[in-house]
Amino acid sequence: MYAIECKNLTHYYGKKLVYENLSFNVEEGKILGLLGKNGTGKSTTINILNGFLQPFSGECLIYGENTQTLTPETKRRIGFLIEGHIQYSFMNIHQIEKFYSGFYPDWNSAPYWELMSKLKVTPKQRISTMSCGQRSQVALGLILAQNPDLLILDDFSMGLDPGYRRLFIDYMREYAKAEHKTVFVTSHIIQDMERLIDDVMIMDYNKILAQQPVEQFMNTFRQFNITLTSPQQEVDLDGIAVNIEKVKDKIEFYTYSTEDEVKNYLASKGIDYSSFEERKMSLEDAFIGLTRKY
Amino acid sequence: MLKSILYKEWIKIRLVVWIALGLGLLALINIFLKVRHDILFVDAANYWYSFLFRGYTYFSILKFLPFVIGLAVAIAQYFPETVNKRLKLTFHLPVSENGILIKMHAFGAVILLALFLVLLGLFTAGSAIFFPSNIIRASLLTILPWFLGGMATYFLVALILLEPMWIFRGLYTAVAAGFVTIFFTSASIGAFSPVLLPLTLITLVLSCVVLFSGYRFRKGEM
Repeated sequence: MYAIECKNLTHYYGKKLVYENLSFNVEEGKILGLLGKNGTGKSTTINILNGFLQPFSGECLIYGENTQTLTPETKRRIGFLIEGHIQYSFMNIHQIEKFYSGFYPDWNSAPYWELMSKLKVTPKQRISTMSCGQRSQVALGLILAQNPDLLILDDFSMGLDPGYRRLFIDYMREYAKAEHKTVFVTSHIIQDMERLIDDVMIMDYNKILAQQPVEQFMNTFRQFNITLTSPQQEVDLDGIAVNIEKVKDKIEFYTYSTEDEVKNYLASKGIDYSSFEERKMSLEDAFIGLTRKY
Repeated sequence: MLKSILYKEWIKIRLVVWIALGLGLLALINIFLKVRHDILFVDAANYWYSFLFRGYTYFSILKFLPFVIGLAVAIAQYFPETVNKRLKLTFHLPVSENGILIKMHAFGAVILLALFLVLLGLFTAGSAIFFPSNIIRASLLTILPWFLGGMATYFLVALILLEPMWIFRGLYTAVAAGFVTIFFTSASIGAFSPVLLPLTLITLVLSCVVLFSGYRFRKGEM
């Protein structure tokens, strides 16, 4: 059963194509991380999911409903964290809790107040005067109190220091797994994602480069470094590598092939090398390996 | 849910509403202290004569107050929704998008109307102390367009603030400025009487235009 189904999404800003025929699903109970460089369409996707942008063609469904016409019942099942932890900053923590509680019959204020008790804020302090980290806790606490089935978190790590980021991730992971919540999350800080997500979706300009369980991705996507015996040697790795960086006699390349497959390929192409090494990657390394540095 | 919506809107505008009420009261006190002073030094019959036949208005200080109040209430209510596109939070609430915008807008309009009715009521009561009914009636017919202009300003500024594209904001502002000016065009006492009904009807129509900006925001115009 899918919480989110997006089918054949195509969108343009003016004449600029953002993506064409993009399709993906998010299974219920999974935490999916959407990774991509700036301008690849992450925010566009989030906006379409929340019904704030009508795609040029295609559709996204959340719990079977088109996101352009979500009913209040379905919206009640979705928790939405806006990039930068935007909230009604003219309110204080008591006012905002009172405001939101009126919309959700299953409102559970306990986790909200638990988080608020950790913040060093005065009861009447406006949210606008709080630090970014404190605001993130307010936004998180409100989502936890709402108790939604699906959480859409847009760049949750923006502006947070490492401590708050870790607090946010640990809280979110524990909550999502304990309560069987579905989470769709984007972040610029990929090392955070590694601790949080089950599945990864990596976007590049106009397309999806990978969508699979993060463990599977990390086990199948590899980085190899070789040193050529002759720097002048012509090297053709197009048959196996998705990205190649060559500096003099050193070649760094990324591939879905195994070590044996790579060695066989190099032999078949007559590429001589003096050293061969598979390098262990973090998710961030793998992301850059797949999408290139620039 | 309605209670929550009204609660948030009240938090946004309450300071402006109290300040506006204070300013309105100060303006009325100023008007009637001056009227009392003038009637003491010039006899009442002459004072009334200047009003009826020489176009002297004792309440000109009120002229732009409804405009300023309408503008301030609209900014207080809608500017916080536009900062960081916070309107997304509002439209994500589990109610119909048009429904919540109508409720927010109706609340702002009702508060503004109540404020204007209080000021108009106090103006009428104060005038009744010093003037006969025909002068009070002529005075009310003169200031009603100003208050109607205050309502129109509120509706149009809401349309402008929630519009997602700057170019459209500019366009709306130009049209709004031209239209609102009509309410404050200098004219002799009671001159607006024949057009008061059409202006009221147009203002009522304007009360709905904010829905168009809300629709454009939801469709992702940028």
